Amino acid sequence: MESFFDWLDDRTNYRAARRHLLEEPLPPGTGWWFVTGSILLFLLGVQLLTGVVLSMYYVPSSEFAYDSVRFIMTQVTFGRILRGLHFFGASFIVVAAVVHMLRVVIFGSYKRPREVTWITGVLLLLIILGFALSGYLLPWDQRAYWATTVTINIARSTPIVGEQIAGVLRGGDTLGALTLLRWYAAHVFLLPAALIAFTVAHIYLMRRHGISGPLAHVEGKSQPFYPVHALKDTIVIAFVFAALLTLAIAVRAPLDAIADPSDATYVPRPEWYFLSLFQLLKYFPGPLEPVATMVIPGLVVALLFLLPFLDRAAERRPVRRRTVMTVFGGGLLGVAVLTSLGLRDTPRTADVNQWAPLSLAGYEFARDARCRTCHQEGGVANPVDQTISRRDPEWLVAHVRDPQMIAPDLRPVPSGAMTEGQGRAVVAYMRRVRAGVTQPAHSPNQPAVAVYGRYCSTCHTLDGEGATVAPDLSHVGAKHDAKWLREWITDPPSVQFDATMPPFGDRLTEAQMTAIVNYLAARK
Amino acid sequence: MMRKPTERRRFLAAAVNSIHGVIGGTLGVLLGGAVIGPSFLRRRETWLKAGSLDALTEDEPTPVTVRVSKQDGFTQSVERYVVFLVKSGERVTALSSTCTHLGCRVSWDSEAKQLKCPCHGGVYDRTGAVIAGPPPAPLAMITTRVDGDQVFIQA
Repeated sequence: MESFFDWLDDRTNYRAARRHLLEEPLPPGTGWWFVTGSILLFLLGVQLLTGVVLSMYYVPSSEFAYDSVRFIMTQVTFGRILRGLHFFGASFIVVAAVVHMLRVVIFGSYKRPREVTWITGVLLLLIILGFALSGYLLPWDQRAYWATTVTINIARSTPIVGEQIAGVLRGGDTLGALTLLRWYAAHVFLLPAALIAFTVAHIYLMRRHGISGPLAHVEGKSQPFYPVHALKDTIVIAFVFAALLTLAIAVRAPLDAIADPSDATYVPRPEWYFLSLFQLLKYFPGPLEPVATMVIPGLVVALLFLLPFLDRAAERRPVRRRTVMTVFGGGLLGVAVLTSLGLRDTPRTADVNQWAPLSLAGYEFARDARCRTCHQEGGVANPVDQTISRRDPEWLVAHVRDPQMIAPDLRPVPSGAMTEGQGRAVVAYMRRVRAGVTQPAHSPNQPAVAVYGRYCSTCHTLDGEGATVAPDLSHVGAKHDAKWLREWITDPPSVQFDATMPPFGDRLTEAQMTAIVNYLAARK
Repeated sequence: MMRKPTERRRFLAAAVNSIHGVIGGTLGVLLGGAVIGPSFLRRRETWLKAGSLDALTEDEPTPVTVRVSKQDGFTQSVERYVVFLVKSGERVTALSSTCTHLGCRVSWDSEAKQLKCPCHGGVYDRTGAVIAGPPPAPLAMITTRVDGDQVFIQA
């Protein structure tokens, strides 16, 4: 065996290369602060590896992207954990990058002769943010679609060339299949190429000038990187990896309902690391918007690039560099405040992984014997709970209301159609099926939920689902008691003379009325 | 007791290498599992309704079309097969309609009482056994089950 490695070394000189990599001389006193870069390098490697395996299952098409991500989450061995590592890994990288940058700023490591190392670092930070932004669209769920709509609209607010930039980002005049493809191409080809190139450059420059080392001069000889400092790196990497893996196992990476461009009620939210920018937008309305979208972020990036040329003194101790420390501290504090304000403002929307009342009602309706005429094992169509429908919601509602329309005269059609409300409820249910959510357990509220789905949902919202024509009923019990609700539902004009809601006293049975009144009254 | 520098160095190197080994191994299991996992997936066998007993003639293969929904990764595909149901007394068998020669669709010749392939003249009897022509094997048998009046086949 030894002779094989001798032969290999003779032909490749790999031992010298390994020695060069591992025996990097470090200044005496190099401590735990200098592990931040290695953590980042490790996390980027994890992203690269998990990304490659995810790409074996992912399809960058607006028709299949969502289903392929759902497939990864539910069918692929360790798929849920892999997507978790990739998804939460993105957040870990943003945090690790900021920590690394802070270390460099506090230690004044960007100063002469390391200006170019710093510039490649800032470029890497921008590339990482580009990854985060482009990766966000790929699952093609509601969050992805609407957050990207906002991103593109921000780019559109650029003076003069805004429309052109937005057009390039979209690959056309609407956000759709072509947008997904080009963001995918950026995420898996362009950005990784740029990331690898600049990482190599960054590490080469780091080796060329050596690391900056501790602030105060420490007497002694320089130490090789391996194994003393390598162990420090390794220990911290092990803790970071353990935390990431635990998170990936314990928490399901979010996958919302499939993107629905016609759903104007969805309130887009960016990922937490862009939340501060998103929040900033709220303070610069109308014509002032470019201040938040262009001027402030542009100034921050310009400041980062210029830092080594603005702070040129040889002094590295932070206490003697008050201006830089204050500006950086203030900037970080600002980002933290804006992020927490943004988090506080997050509105409540229906989570496709939870059974909201409308989808629960749809589940009830879809179990109707009429559906099972065709939708059964070995029948002319798949059982409803196994049907992945790629039809748009309007088609589904029309199909539920009139099953004949799918193929006139070709198959026996069940008699009696469902109502519009029932149709919308079935659509909400089918969205859960497509999201791969476990079928719901029996709920004692089912009679009430069925009444809501059939009658109330065409006007009222409950837990983020349903129409928004009339008031949201999510907390109606806090305002009205059961007696008032019963009177109101029975005959609204008898409670308030100008009420526009139709009376339901003659449409609901006593059991239905009792069920819905008690259910709503309990919603505080 | 102080370790000698070389001994200490060896210990630290072993620690670094072992921790990296554990991390690499964990990642390897997760990534490898995802890559090779689908190779071990088995398709779910289901029973499909193929027809009613009343519609079958004694010893006469009756063609029926069955619809099979298959999971193809993240998509569902629907395939339609023609199978011949043959009732012989109490027993019902099902034969695939795919010729074992080159995969053409065979049909029942009620005059000759034979299943014939239109492509290269393969001929089978009503049990699916080869009588003449190039087919190398009898028609594939499909597992059946009779439940009351209904005939089910396994797909």
